[in-house]
Amino acid sequence: MISLSSIHYRYSRASAPWVLQGINLTIREGDYILICGKSGSGKSTFGYLLNGLIPHFFEGTLEGTVSICGQDTRNLTVAGLLSSVGLVFQNADAQLFNSTVESEIAFGLESLGLDPTEIDAKIEKTADDLALAPLLDRSPMSLSGGEKRLVAIASVLCLDPPVIVLDEPFGHLDPEGAQMVREVLRDLHRRGTTLVAIEQRMSGVLEDVSRCVVLDRGKILFDGLPAGAGAILDKQHLVPHYLQKKTARAKPGSPILRMEHVGHTVEDNAILKDVSLVVMEGEILAIVGKNGAGKTTLIKHFNGLLRSKKGVVLYRGKNIRGTAPSEMAASVGISFQNPNDQFFKSTVRDEIMVGMRPDSKGAKEWMDELYSLFDLHELLDLSPYRLSEGQKKRVAIASVLVAKPEMLVLDEPTVGQDGHFLETLAGLLVSLRERGLTIVIVTHDLEFAKAIADRLIVVHEGKVAGEATPGTAAGDALLASMRLSGAESPASPQGTAGHAG
Amino acid sequence: MQAKGFDPRTKLALGMLGIAAVLVTEDTRFLVGELCIILPGLFFLKRTRAMHAVRLILPLVTIVFVIGVISFSVETAVALALRLFDLLALSILFFQAMDPTELGDSFRKMGFPYEFSFILTTSLRYVPLIGKRLRMIIDAQRSRGVDLRPRLRNVPRFTALLIPLLVQAFILAEQLAMAMESRGFARAGRSFRREYRISFREYILIASALCIVAVFFAWEKGWIK
Repeated sequence: MISLSSIHYRYSRASAPWVLQGINLTIREGDYILICGKSGSGKSTFGYLLNGLIPHFFEGTLEGTVSICGQDTRNLTVAGLLSSVGLVFQNADAQLFNSTVESEIAFGLESLGLDPTEIDAKIEKTADDLALAPLLDRSPMSLSGGEKRLVAIASVLCLDPPVIVLDEPFGHLDPEGAQMVREVLRDLHRRGTTLVAIEQRMSGVLEDVSRCVVLDRGKILFDGLPAGAGAILDKQHLVPHYLQKKTARAKPGSPILRMEHVGHTVEDNAILKDVSLVVMEGEILAIVGKNGAGKTTLIKHFNGLLRSKKGVVLYRGKNIRGTAPSEMAASVGISFQNPNDQFFKSTVRDEIMVGMRPDSKGAKEWMDELYSLFDLHELLDLSPYRLSEGQKKRVAIASVLVAKPEMLVLDEPTVGQDGHFLETLAGLLVSLRERGLTIVIVTHDLEFAKAIADRLIVVHEGKVAGEATPGTAAGDALLASMRLSGAESPASPQGTAGHAG
Repeated sequence: MQAKGFDPRTKLALGMLGIAAVLVTEDTRFLVGELCIILPGLFFLKRTRAMHAVRLILPLVTIVFVIGVISFSVETAVALALRLFDLLALSILFFQAMDPTELGDSFRKMGFPYEFSFILTTSLRYVPLIGKRLRMIIDAQRSRGVDLRPRLRNVPRFTALLIPLLVQAFILAEQLAMAMESRGFARAGRSFRREYRISFREYILIASALCIVAVFFAWEKGWIK
């Protein structure tokens, strides 16, 4: 159906490194292929090849042939491939550019020039297939992550392409959303659609696929049945293994931050409802919950980015009401999900210095220590925008730590990261705690939370639904009741829990 | 304006006529009268939205009022502020009643090329997204100690907002272009699912609105008594 023979590709015409180096692959009808590899292995590039964006949209050098249904993609156009290969992009916000779900599905059909009655019939059928009928009048931007992904799938599925390529379909989704997408894909596969899913971390989806291809630095490292992929996935860190560095669990210290009766409402929607919690000095606390549960809103109260009318936030017993967030940064540092939200200097060195307080003693020494700890020495003169996702994250966290906060808060640090980085991050957080830092991580990645946290707090629909120590029966029961923890199987250590990009 | 099922061109025409009416009004009492028509319309939408809209308008109107009092007279200031309030409230009402796609569709029906109306609707649609991104950038920078409170000495720090925002806008634009390309935007022979027809009822409505505004204009000018 699709065959790639000796593909080499690089993005600019000369001197750039080859992103793909000698790919030979045949995709057969009815395959459900999982393409996986670390960040930077050439996975997304591979996806662009399959629907003709390479060579038609991206300039660059392509050697070898991609043939789809017997035709060389060089002789076709992206629009010409519309009804042969559907590509679902990683960033749903870019893929969904219409004002309602209905017009989103209609867009491709209108491109094909179908007549209105036929379009309406196809919209109805697609909406039925993916159970999207209740969402048709909604704006795609108002949907949850899982729903957005389904709409993105619907927007190409309606064209009945024999092949659908999905770039990180589970990225950014919480376990529930991922489960929703996973079921839809399983169903499509059963009905004969050829699927190519591109992922950078393994998840339960490995059980669903008929074939697994592992990419590494632009080459195919493995191509075969998923059952045989175990060893190579481990070796490539595509399944993260967290070392049990439970040296000296945090001694119960005194409370460092206390939050009492905090509520937050946006346009009559209560995002947080009367939340009270305590963060203990020197612990790693994980705040877990589904996307949209109010986790990020919660931590924005830690440094005064948001302030509750009725509730109070006490840092070391002192109300933070009068302190600006930028001043709080010396006590509570928060690093949000997307490192691109903060980069504005031309080198990593300058970027990290932004938060430095020149008046604090030992600032220089602390910075050198950070460079070593985060392994940044070789990156210091590079532009932060040129880094890999994992490197960006390291710079982002270091740039928050440079102000020497006593408490570090990380918002969804695992999203968009590969398994290798997660292992590094887990190690880093443990060594930061050994230096006396208090750490709070907000995540929907349960495996990560369980592996490194001393304590878990579950947030559900704007309330604290419970707290537990990871690894205890009570903790597991609590998490299971939140539907955060899917059925785990030995074949996929991560189960359905917590996969992301 | 609330009526659903109106052809977007009807809404566009009514909106334009409304704005014309406010612009030709000179008598302060009529400006108040117009306000009394527009405000309930605004509150007929979601109450919180309307409050939000009023809060958005008020500072600007206040500034105009203060400047008016200082440079002219209280009467002129009142008239100026009222007119501005009417215009802004009317525009908000208009954009509430008209979704961007409809606006684009009405331009297309009036003979503008599809690309033009598409760019118009898409850019309108991405305004909230960019706003959200800006919010996240502000939060991220403040959380690592960048002081962004509105003070003179903080002005140079605003590059900390501008650069990430620009970079993200470029990334989004590229991804959007890719997504559009992949869904056949450039393909010739596009069909349009939604067809519009201005009903007889709507023609009557537009015609009567036009007459009212014309009579009002003539009366304001003193041509008819």
